[in-house]
Amino acid sequence: MINIENISQITRFRTDKESHIILNKEICQTCDQRFCVQICPAKCYTFNESSGRLDVTFENCLECGTCYVICERKAIQWSYPRGGYGVVYRLT
Amino acid sequence: MEQYFDAIVIGAGPAGSTAALKMARAGLKVALLERGAYPGCKNIFGGLLHNSPVLNQLVPDFWKTAPIERFVYRKTLAVTTPDSFITLNYATENFTQLPYNGFTVMRPVFDRWLANEAVKKGALLLCNCLVDDLVRRNGKINGVKIKGRNGDLIARVVVAADGVLSFTAEKAGLRKELKPELLGLGIKLLLSLPEEVINERFGLVREQGADFSILGITEGLRGGAFLYTNQESISFGMVIHLDSLKASGYAPYDILIKALQHPLIRRLIKGAVPVEYSAHLVPEGGVRGIPHLYTDGMLVAGDAAGLCYTNGINLEGINLAIASGALAAETIIEATRSGDFSRDFLSLYQKKLENSFVLKDMKTFSNAFEMLRIDRLYQTYPELLCSVFEDIYRVTGTQRERIFKLIRKKSHGKLSLINLISDGIKAARGLL
Repeated sequence: MINIENISQITRFRTDKESHIILNKEICQTCDQRFCVQICPAKCYTFNESSGRLDVTFENCLECGTCYVICERKAIQWSYPRGGYGVVYRLT
Repeated sequence: MEQYFDAIVIGAGPAGSTAALKMARAGLKVALLERGAYPGCKNIFGGLLHNSPVLNQLVPDFWKTAPIERFVYRKTLAVTTPDSFITLNYATENFTQLPYNGFTVMRPVFDRWLANEAVKKGALLLCNCLVDDLVRRNGKINGVKIKGRNGDLIARVVVAADGVLSFTAEKAGLRKELKPELLGLGIKLLLSLPEEVINERFGLVREQGADFSILGITEGLRGGAFLYTNQESISFGMVIHLDSLKASGYAPYDILIKALQHPLIRRLIKGAVPVEYSAHLVPEGGVRGIPHLYTDGMLVAGDAAGLCYTNGINLEGINLAIASGALAAETIIEATRSGDFSRDFLSLYQKKLENSFVLKDMKTFSNAFEMLRIDRLYQTYPELLCSVFEDIYRVTGTQRERIFKLIRKKSHGKLSLINLISDGIKAARGLL
């Protein structure tokens, strides 16, 4: 019924050029918990097994802050997007 | 260039806009700051705005002008297993006449309306304004810095109504680090469905609405699902305890998508089209999650103040936000008369909250927190209950058993007497 990867087809965003989520690459590279990948309701985090790299698609962020709260290693530097940018709920 | 105000309110949600409305009405020069392009565009909730005498006092007969979707007529509690469900309905004509008990609303529409009511009373609404930091002078909070904007906004007092994550309350040293065990993750799918189909399917007429709270549909995780009817859409979603979700390894949307296939849900949403998907954290710690509510030059209101509770049956947040915003405004109006914005004077806000239903209700149900952390509540009990009902009704051509014996047989190996007694005590302490 819905595909979370195509979230931007139903939820509207005004995307900024710069990311409001900055990962601490050093910590993330050695992290084996990756609660962010599991728990983000917008599936913004992906872990590439072969390269060992954690990536974040800030463009689809719903700004709930769950990743920031859940990361035990404090590796996510998370702020709200600049004023006027980010998710724009219309109806919900 | 600096700009001066009597009060700055951070966040044009229900708490912030109510505070701004009430202060502006009393003649204060108020700035109402919103980080989104318009108020409400960052906000979601399940869908139910309860009757709010506080709001009604500020905007008389608010339901006549506010963008209301439906008046809630029927409340349903559903206990489910993957292939069965028990529902308990309470419907009353009383809820669809004055005083209406609850309304389904859409936050991007409702919050925008409420902020506009504050503007009508003279508040200055500034959208696209993300507060970056607080301005401190002489040891007191004295204003805010807006990201990407030169010149601070200065005021005698700041109201932090910036939501559950409240970075401003954190910067002011009023709240500690957010803990997963005191938060729930809410996710929601808005599904469009024609008005006539909703009315017919849910047995509603005109503007009547239905409200469902659903237990046992969260893969055994601590949490529950909700379903609300709007005029031409259905809100379906769930709130799951963040620590429970984290420990489970599940992705939240997988649980939601699976729930859409549940026999109870699937027929209610048949033919509906997804139109918006949203997520938000919910302060679910009850009184445990409340930060310090005031300091020199600042008050905290709404979700930022953790003012939200559930006892498993009632879920209240938006009306507590509105009431806290109004009490913050009352405090500031009195502080303005005295010319005193010190922590000592602003402690009046805490007293006002304690004397109102806001903190009283939160304290009444403070023990529900322990009850709602019983894992068995979310799978073991629903399964037990449904299987007992199944055997009560099922005809097999063999001898029937008395209900008590049936319960004992069904709970064997799943639930010990000690579990039952301990859960019973927690439930009694939480609710009775």
